[in-house]
Formats: sequence, structure tokens, C-alpha cells
Amino acid sequence: MTALLLALILAAPAPESFPEPIRPFLKAKAKDGTPVLSAQDVEKLAQMPERTRQLVAAAADNMILGSADHLRILLSLDLAPQGMEVVLQDNCILCHSDPGNVKPRVLFSPDPAKQGSNPLLDLREFVSDVHFRRGLSCSGCHGGTPKDESMVSEIGERWPKADDRHKDRSWIPDFCARCHADPSFMRGFNPTLPTDQLAKYRESKHGVLLLQQKDSHAAQCVSCHGVHGIRGPKSRKSTVNPQRIPDTCGSCHASPGHMAGYKTDAGAPMPVNQVAEYKASVHGQALLVKGDLGAPSCTGCHGSHAAMPPAVASVAQVCRRCHVINGQLFDGSKHKVAFESHTWPECGQCHGKHAIVRATDALVGDKPGTLCHDCHKSYAGNNAACDKTAASFRATLDELAAGRAEVAPREEELAEKGLDVEPLSRAVGELDEALVQTRTRVHSFDPGTFQQAAAPASDALAKARESIAAARGDYRFRQRGLFLAIGSIGLLALAIGLKVREVERRRNGR
Amino acid sequence: MSLYGWLDKRYDLGPLVKFLQHKEVPVGAHSLFWYYLGGLTLFFFMVQVGSGALLLVYYQVGESTSYESIRFITTKVPFGWLVRSIHCWSAHLMIVSLVLHMLSTMLLKAYRAPRELTWVTGFALFAIALGFGFSGYLLPWNELAFFATAVGTDSVKAVPGVGEWLMQVMRGGPDVSGNTLYRFFALHVVILPLITFGVVGVHLLFIQKQGMAPPIGHVPSRGMKFFPDFAMRDVLLWLLCLMLLGSLAVFLPYGPHLPGVEWELGHKANPLAPAYPGIKPEWYFLWVYQLLKEFPPHIFGLEGPQGAVAVVSLLMAVWALVPWLDRRARRGEASPAFTDLGIAAVLFIAFLTLKAWDIGGGGAVQPDPNAVARACAIWILVAGFAATALRFALWRHTWFVFSAAALLHAALHGLFGVSYLPAGAIAALAAVAGATLTRPGPALAGEPK
Repeated sequence: MTALLLALILAAPAPESFPEPIRPFLKAKAKDGTPVLSAQDVEKLAQMPERTRQLVAAAADNMILGSADHLRILLSLDLAPQGMEVVLQDNCILCHSDPGNVKPRVLFSPDPAKQGSNPLLDLREFVSDVHFRRGLSCSGCHGGTPKDESMVSEIGERWPKADDRHKDRSWIPDFCARCHADPSFMRGFNPTLPTDQLAKYRESKHGVLLLQQKDSHAAQCVSCHGVHGIRGPKSRKSTVNPQRIPDTCGSCHASPGHMAGYKTDAGAPMPVNQVAEYKASVHGQALLVKGDLGAPSCTGCHGSHAAMPPAVASVAQVCRRCHVINGQLFDGSKHKVAFESHTWPECGQCHGKHAIVRATDALVGDKPGTLCHDCHKSYAGNNAACDKTAASFRATLDELAAGRAEVAPREEELAEKGLDVEPLSRAVGELDEALVQTRTRVHSFDPGTFQQAAAPASDALAKARESIAAARGDYRFRQRGLFLAIGSIGLLALAIGLKVREVERRRNGR
Repeated sequence: MSLYGWLDKRYDLGPLVKFLQHKEVPVGAHSLFWYYLGGLTLFFFMVQVGSGALLLVYYQVGESTSYESIRFITTKVPFGWLVRSIHCWSAHLMIVSLVLHMLSTMLLKAYRAPRELTWVTGFALFAIALGFGFSGYLLPWNELAFFATAVGTDSVKAVPGVGEWLMQVMRGGPDVSGNTLYRFFALHVVILPLITFGVVGVHLLFIQKQGMAPPIGHVPSRGMKFFPDFAMRDVLLWLLCLMLLGSLAVFLPYGPHLPGVEWELGHKANPLAPAYPGIKPEWYFLWVYQLLKEFPPHIFGLEGPQGAVAVVSLLMAVWALVPWLDRRARRGEASPAFTDLGIAAVLFIAFLTLKAWDIGGGGAVQPDPNAVARACAIWILVAGFAATALRFALWRHTWFVFSAAALLHAALHGLFGVSYLPAGAIAALAAVAGATLTRPGPALAGEPK
């Protein structure tokens, strides 16, 4: 390490090679006598394109780049030359990032906690913001121009007065929509980004609360997207990345304090356990643990800008967006009518809402404890035909599942013996596919439809068993062949052995 | 007229028959077993030629056909699985037999004058056998083969000056690709076999001309007739090995499931897939692989791998030149230093091989290197002390400087935590000092010379 530092020091560019206004910074010392700019900082300066270095010199000459420490802070951001040039030509950033120029309360720094400034004034986050990266800087929202050398009166005039704007947040959606609802303006930055967010938001539960009922606790743009560090949803650091959405929504919806006083449509207190339930659910596990971005997060069912609770009539339509075949089968079943008469939310009635767990065969059956039995007992009375259907479904599913558990492990066992397991592998694949189809057909609640999928599954299971028997037969053939070969070769070896002894005896006798 | 008479009339077989009648194998104090190892290696080579020719009937070289054709051979071709399994088992057993043959030649000093060139041609055959192993490994074009070949050919870059060029020549480009596959195929089935037939012919010619080497000090009181006595025993051993090969092919068709000794086909090579951890070459390359890992990125102005290649080259050169280095054996005197050198070489290579196998690592993907070094050192020390005791008890060996240095190396590294290379340097210095201070004396009574 010492040698590396020594090498860096020896290889450091001479101060004379930098423009004159920068040179004092190179010699500046901290209170403990060490240089403010490290050898790496000087190297970064040396590696800058000439134009960028001239901008550093100009900012230093204008004294808007106030000190070596200020330069060190800017260099620590490790910006690409283009980013650094935007910063160096933006007086708002330059002034508000100079610890010697502004009070900690309004200072942007790479470490706000250490500087005692507002956590929202994180300089590193700011230069990562999607707006900054597309050329929109402070003045885009706050007013003024990047060239202003002092705080002009226009700054702040775009927003309500400080006291008002914190009490009433309803100005925020319209403020963001100045750009985001303007297709011709947005086309210049991201033509694929929708511009109907505000229209959707107005119709959403959040929008109704904020804009109509003036409830400033309701979520608006910055509640979910943040400020000064806004990123696109593909960024893993973004608060609206699919894998971070549950926590973003949960920051309000899992907070008893925040949700106190809110009611569901049915008039019950708004629950705060949805996020916890979701995280333990099959969808939450798929998204958050397995990283399956196809799995829904909160917005997958509730929508994002138009977020609202799905009504009973529409909840099943939300599920159908992914579980298409199950929905179609259910629509053609007797249960469709029965559920409608009870105003039950179709899928959710059996599978639940936020806490949906992986459905198992144990849900099906005519015995107490199974979903079919318990529900029919409560709402449909004794129905022998239904019980028979449920029992036959369960028996078939159990038989196929047990068969799969029996044949699948044989694949590895036979492969280790060097046997051809391709037919078995193919049959197990067919069985898996048919088993999925069979389980799906349960949603038809019709024995005929169910059997259409169950029959191929049974065929695949039979084929798998035949493959195992054939492979085992092949192995027995190999063993018998080996014993035969060993026997033959052994006899030949014995004959040669006897001949060796005879020759030896004859030679010794001689 | 008998067939013999018919042939004799045309080709004058008399001198050949006379030669065979008079050819004898020396029978000495040592077991006759050592004299069978050369023939056994030849037997495994013939099995390789035969099984390889059968595989060639169905094997189709190419990026889109190699893997598929091997899969077809093992699953659909009648007895294809048997042929491939025998080819693989026989390849490994041939290397085992060859190494034992070379080691026995080393310990019995059969390399001594006038048989120096027999030793050199044998050493060349050893190198060719390794070439067979390396080139054949890629031919199934599966994942393991692909990445192991990528690592193996990459290490060639360490050769000073021409390394990069040599690697590109081996690969047929900057990366392992279809070009590499074609090259290795040509090498495996045409170039190396042709060279082998030539070198084996010369090796056998030397042996026939000079006869088998008796141990030093052996008085040729009696010998065993090569034909038919020794030849029949040879055939007997070959038949036993054929039975062994068949049994292994049926009961362990993909090898004993040890890293470097397995040939399950697995998945097809995907040059775009990332390499997975734990890729290791075949067992006889493991010591070189481990030595490469023991070197730091830079050493004495060389790249680490260059240092390792230099050490391996030096050791190989010493081994090849043993007949000229061992002046005592050349004079027909006992040569305990070179006996001990052979034992030390075995210990040195075994220690590295055990380390490459991660013995003592508890089966972890990234085992604790200190735990592995400790466990391997204990194994080597136990084996080393047992071998030393055995040598003293059976043959009255008393000179153990080189093998003691190999054990010191293992102990310093495994038990006292000294890095591999410094421990090796200390052991080498100790070996030089020990060899200088304790000149090996004459053999004790009963010691094989």
C-alpha cells in the first residue's frame, strides 16, 4: 500500500501543468497539515478533458468554486466529464455544495448526516437523479437560471409559500404535471414515458383524498418517487423498482400511525398488515426472494398512479391478467353463478388476497379440512354428486403426485448407472406438464374437463414406469453379459495359468 | 507344407525364432511384477486404439455434433456405453500403469547406461500420453471439458516470449472454439497416435536389442524365458485387466466420481455461459494446476504462472536427464540419493494433488485453505513416515534426505502455516545442505542397489 501511495505521489502531475486559478488548491493544506487534495484527486484533475479543466479554472477564477475542500467534494462524486461540466456551469449547485458559502441547513453534501444538513440534500443522490442526468437541474423546479450569481426573487415563486406548501400538498401533482402531462415536452426526453399520470392520479384513491378532500396525508408524486434522487423503475435503487414497491407502499400502509382514521369501503378500520402478508405470500416470495420480476407487487393488482382497491366484481379480473386459463375454466363452471349469488370475489374466496399461499392438492376433497368440503357444508348443504367429484379429483391428484414422487428420483439413480434415461426424462417432463394442466382443470369443477387433462398425465406416468422397467432390464442384461464375459475370459486365463505351470514344471523337471 | 514352413521359406523366420528362444527376463531379488508394467501399459494402449477406433465409427467432430454424437453413442448405439466407458477407464489405467512403470524404472535404476535412450523414449511416451489425455478431454464438447480446456490452454500463455502465440496455435484463435475442437481431434486421433507408434517402436526396439535391465549388482544366474514363459504371464495379466476393465465399465460407467476422474457427459459446452467454480483438470494434471495456484501474481519479475511453468519445466528436465545425472548408477554402484529422489518426487506430487482435491475441506465450494493444507500435510507425513519405515525395514535404506525435505515442506506449509513457496524454498535449501553434508554411503547388506 505504501509503495502504491509512493508511486502515485512520484507520478503526480506537476502543479504547473494546471491552469493558474487551480494551483492554489493543489497547495492547500488541512488543519493537520496534510494536503486537502489527495494524490488521487490531483490525478482525477489531470485526467479531465481540457475543456472540463478550463471550466474548473473558470469557476475557481469566479470564486464560485470557493476552496480546495469544495473542489475535493466535487471530485469525490466521480462524475463523467459531461456530468462534471453540467455541475461546473450551474451556479445553484456550485453555491449550495460549498460548505464555506452556505449554512448546513441548505448545503448539498455527499454525506448530509455528517454535515448536519437535511437528508434530502444528498449531493451524490442529486447527481444520480434521472432529471439531472437528462439535463434538468435545480432551476427546472425551483426557478431562476443556472447562470444567476445570486438568489433572484423568481426562485420560490413557482411554489406556494413555505408554510402553505407543507400544510397543503395538493399543489405537487400539478407542479410535476407541468412537464409530465405535456406529451410534446416529454417527447424530447423519453418518448415512451406515458403522460397520463395526472389524469390517472385524479381518479385514484390517493388523488381523491388529496385533491378533493384536501387530505395531505394522502400519497402524491414525491411520496413514492422522492426528491433529488429520483430514478427510473429499472434502477434497483429506485423507490418504484418492482422489488422495492412493497416497502414504498408499506411506508404508509404498514404504519398504524399513518393509517389511523382511514376506513375500508366496508367501513372497517384500514388494516396495516397487507405488506407483511404479501411478503409471506407466493407472489411476495417469487418477487422478493426468487427475483421473479413477472410476479405482481402492490401495483400489479392495485395499479400505480390510478391506485385503488379492486372492487369485488373486478378482483377476479385482476387475477385473470396472469392466471388466464384458471379464469376461463371458472367462468364456465357452476361456481361462477353460485359465487355471484353470494357476491364473493371469485379467486380471493378460496385463495385469499394479500396472503395467497401456494395452492396444494390438500385444498381439494370431500373430507373435513378440505376447502371443498368445508365450504359446501356451510353453504351448499349435502350434495353427493359434488362430494363424489371432489373425491375423484383428490384421488386422481394424489395418485399422480405419488406416482411422480416415485418415478422422478429414479432418473438420477439410473443415470448414475450409465443407463439411457432420456425416455424417462421425457416422460417425467410430460407428466409435470399434464399435472399442471390437471390441477388447473380443477377450476372447471367438471369431471369430464378434469379427465381430459388427467388422462394424459396417467399415460405419462405409465410411460415413465415402463422406461424405468426397460432401463432396469438393460442393467440386468449388462450384468449378465459381464458375468458371461468374465466367465469366458476367466476360463481362458485359467487355461493359460495351467499352461504356465505346466511349462514351468516341465522346465524345472528338465 | 505347414504355415510356418510356408512363411519361413519366404521370410526366413529362423533368426527371429532363435532370438525369441534365447530372449530372457532377469529374475532377481526384486519382484518380477515390475517387469510386467511396460507390457501392461502397452495393453491399455492397444485397448485405447481398439475402443477409440470403435468410437470413431459414430463420433462426429464439430461444435454442433460432438456432444450430440457422444450422447448418441452412450444412449442409442448398441454397447456404445461400454466402448466409451472402457475407453475412459483404460485411459486412466494406462496413465497409472505408465507412471508405475516409470517409477519402477527410476527406483531399479534401469535407466543407467547403456539404456539412457530407453528412458528418454519412455519419458517422451509419458509426455505423449498426457497429450492424449488433454486432447481427448475436450472431444465430448461438454461444459466441464470446455472450461478445463480453457484453463489448461490459458496456462500456456506463461511460456516466455511465445506463450500468447502458442496459446493461439493450440486454440486456433483467441478463445476455445470449434477450431480448438478440430485441432484437438486431429491431434488425438491422427498426430499423437502416429508419433506414439513410432516412439513405442523405438522404445521396444531398444528393449529387444539391449534386453531388460537387471537390478544393480544382480548376477544373472538364471533368467526366465521371455517366450513362452514371460509372454504367457503377460497375457494372463492382460486378461485379468480386461476383466477389471469390463467390471469397472459396468459398475462405475462414469468413473469413481472423484474430481479429475469422472466423465459423465453433463451439459453441452456453452462458450457464452460463465465458468462455474470447482473446475479441475484430470487427476494427473492436478499437481501442476495446484502449483499454478500456489504462485503469487508476480514473483522475481515474472508473472506467477511463468514462475510455476519454469519450476515444472525444471523438474521435468531433471527427471528426463536422470540417466546422465546419476553418475553412481552409471558406474554400476548403488545410488541411494536417486532412489530417495524418486520417493521425494512421489511425495511432492501427492501433496499437491491432495491439496487440489481439497482433502480436509469438508466438501465446501470454497474450503478453508489452511484446513486443507493441514489435512493434506498430515496424510503426506503419515504416508512418508510409513514409506521410510518400510524402506528401512525391508531394504535397509538409510539415506532419506530428499524425502525428508519433501516431508519438511509439507509440515512447514500444512502444520506451521508457512506459505507454500517459502516452505518449498526452505525445504530445498535443507535438501541441498543435507545432500552436501551427508554423502550417501555404500549400500548396506541386503539393500537393493
